Amino acid sequence: MMRYIRLHRIFIAQYLKRLMEYKVDFMLGAIGLLIAQGMQLIFLGIIFSAIPALKGWQFEEVLFIYGFSLVPKTIDHLFTDNLWMVGYRIIRKGEFDKYLTRPINTLYHVIAENFCVDAFGELLTCILLLAYSIPKLSIPFHWYTIPLFLIVSIFATLIYTSLKIMTSAISFWTKASGHITHMLYMTNDFGKYPVTIYNKAVQALITYVIPFAFTAYFPATYFLTGKNPLFCLGGTVIAGTVLFLLAIFVWNRGLRAYESAGS
Amino acid sequence: MEAMIYAENLRKEFKKIIKEPGLKGAAKALFKPNKEIVTAVDDISFEVPAGEILGFIGPNGAGKSTVIKMLTGILTPTSGFCRINGKIPQEDRKNYVREIGVVFGQRTQLWWDLALRETYSVLKEIYQVPEEQFKKRMTFLNEVLELDSFITSPVRTLSLGQRMRADIAAALLHSPKVLFLDEPTIGLDVVVKENIRSAIRKINEEEGTTVILTTHDLADIELLCERIVMIDKGRKVFDGGLSELRHNFGDVRTLRFELVNGPDFKLLDYRRRFKLTDDDVSAERDGSSVTVRFDTAKVSVEEMISYTLSTVHVKDLNIKDVEIEEIIKKLYRREVSL
Ligand SMILES: Nc1ncnc2c1ncn2[C@@H]1O[C@H](COP(=O)(O)OP(=O)(O)OP(=O)(O)O)[C@@H](O)[C@H]1O
Ligand SMILES: [Mg+2]
Repeated sequence: MMRYIRLHRIFIAQYLKRLMEYKVDFMLGAIGLLIAQGMQLIFLGIIFSAIPALKGWQFEEVLFIYGFSLVPKTIDHLFTDNLWMVGYRIIRKGEFDKYLTRPINTLYHVIAENFCVDAFGELLTCILLLAYSIPKLSIPFHWYTIPLFLIVSIFATLIYTSLKIMTSAISFWTKASGHITHMLYMTNDFGKYPVTIYNKAVQALITYVIPFAFTAYFPATYFLTGKNPLFCLGGTVIAGTVLFLLAIFVWNRGLRAYESAGS
Repeated sequence: MEAMIYAENLRKEFKKIIKEPGLKGAAKALFKPNKEIVTAVDDISFEVPAGEILGFIGPNGAGKSTVIKMLTGILTPTSGFCRINGKIPQEDRKNYVREIGVVFGQRTQLWWDLALRETYSVLKEIYQVPEEQFKKRMTFLNEVLELDSFITSPVRTLSLGQRMRADIAAALLHSPKVLFLDEPTIGLDVVVKENIRSAIRKINEEEGTTVILTTHDLADIELLCERIVMIDKGRKVFDGGLSELRHNFGDVRTLRFELVNGPDFKLLDYRRRFKLTDDDVSAERDGSSVTVRFDTAKVSVEEMISYTLSTVHVKDLNIKDVEIEEIIKKLYRREVSL
């Protein structure tokens, strides 16, 4: 375990060095990102000011849920972005060979190799939304609220990451699966809004099948109301754990099916 | 004691989906795929004792890389198994790869954007090489592979020859017991080739590292390998020492005589003297030197020399070894039956 943490530090340091090397690229990326996030904030402002109350949800509550949804998404984005490459390129081109010839866990190795500083843009939006909405809401606050928030964020992140691991691992059989990951990611937008605004089918889908509702709506409503902790938080913990175990299983089966590439 | 590398009935099949051309074909492949099974490696068994350098040869598409990938734990065999250094790669991957080094000449294993020096320090952590040992090792590798001039450059800026040396050094950093080299000399000039060969020889002699290498350059084989395994269409077609290959298939010899007087050449009539056909003997003159190639099954080297010496004045005589390249070319063309 300690060894993996140490390795992670080294990978991050190397990543930052690489980043510095491509200064122009980095600057352009950062500027582009700020513009994109700014646009998104303006867009949200327009939508929410047009519909001040959404099916009984207050404007600030909707913002809180949206902001909350960005916490796991940002963490996942920051640390596990390389999984996209697994589905798009690494397996199809046979570049996965090198991970299999090194004495560390393959999943850890691919994930640790890259970071995505782009995620800091999302983080900024996330902080702005939470900082704006929390003071206007009467959120019940206890000594355990913050630790609970941190724990639940980890499991919510695990939901994102596990789904990404599973869909990327499909390419061990099909050679490419980036588009599947992409399709799945489109549905995560559903999780950013109160699920009660959707019809029953969509609600069931994002609660029990692809449990994005547990990455934001359910835990966020617990923090808003203090009600139903067992379902709202327990559901997130269970969904995160089950999906992660499943993801590891699929990944390991995938390794056996890996066919490399001709040359 | 068991061999360092032990492979038994290794087999690898790939499923290939045959696509018909065009969009219609693509759609058809999606719903009713037309599958074909390609047998890349077809029941291959062999052993390599510790400390040996084994050459793996065969024409393009023979299945060499596929065998290497199974031995290194990248691919899971369809059937059969291999045990290397007492471990089955697919079962105990993390512990197994700690003691092997792998180089694929066609593709780098290094991080594209990292400076080479940084690459090694990351690998040091991955393989948990102690600081002291790491320093010693780097000095050693620097010396044998001459990395100094480009060690601060990012991998993406290296030339092919530099990159290959960098890759080999990376595979040797953790002092592996077994080294797998898939085409380590592909596309390199003679100087770099020689540098790499001497590095392989040195590692093998000084550390007793077992080496398997594939190549299309038969000089690699002649200079490095005691033994070769030849495969063709996924099957093993020859397994033995170089001398054995020569002995079994190499019945053509070449003699070169340096004549005192070039025009004396016309006095030599090997065909009539030994009652041979054109297939069995050929003699060519180039200035004052005469090259004779003949089948040792029809006439012995001794008879050949004594006839020549008694017929003309000879200044110098040169007996050439059987050229391994000739034999292998014949084998590839299936002219020699096994
Ligand atoms: N990942 C793969 N998927 C499908 N078929 C493959 C794959 N890898 C190799 N093959 C097929 O297996 C056969 C053996 O290929 P391999 O790469 O092992 O040959 P090789 O002896 O290394 O050839 P070369 O000398 O050209 O490198 C070929 O017919 C090739 O098309
Ligand atoms: Mg090959």
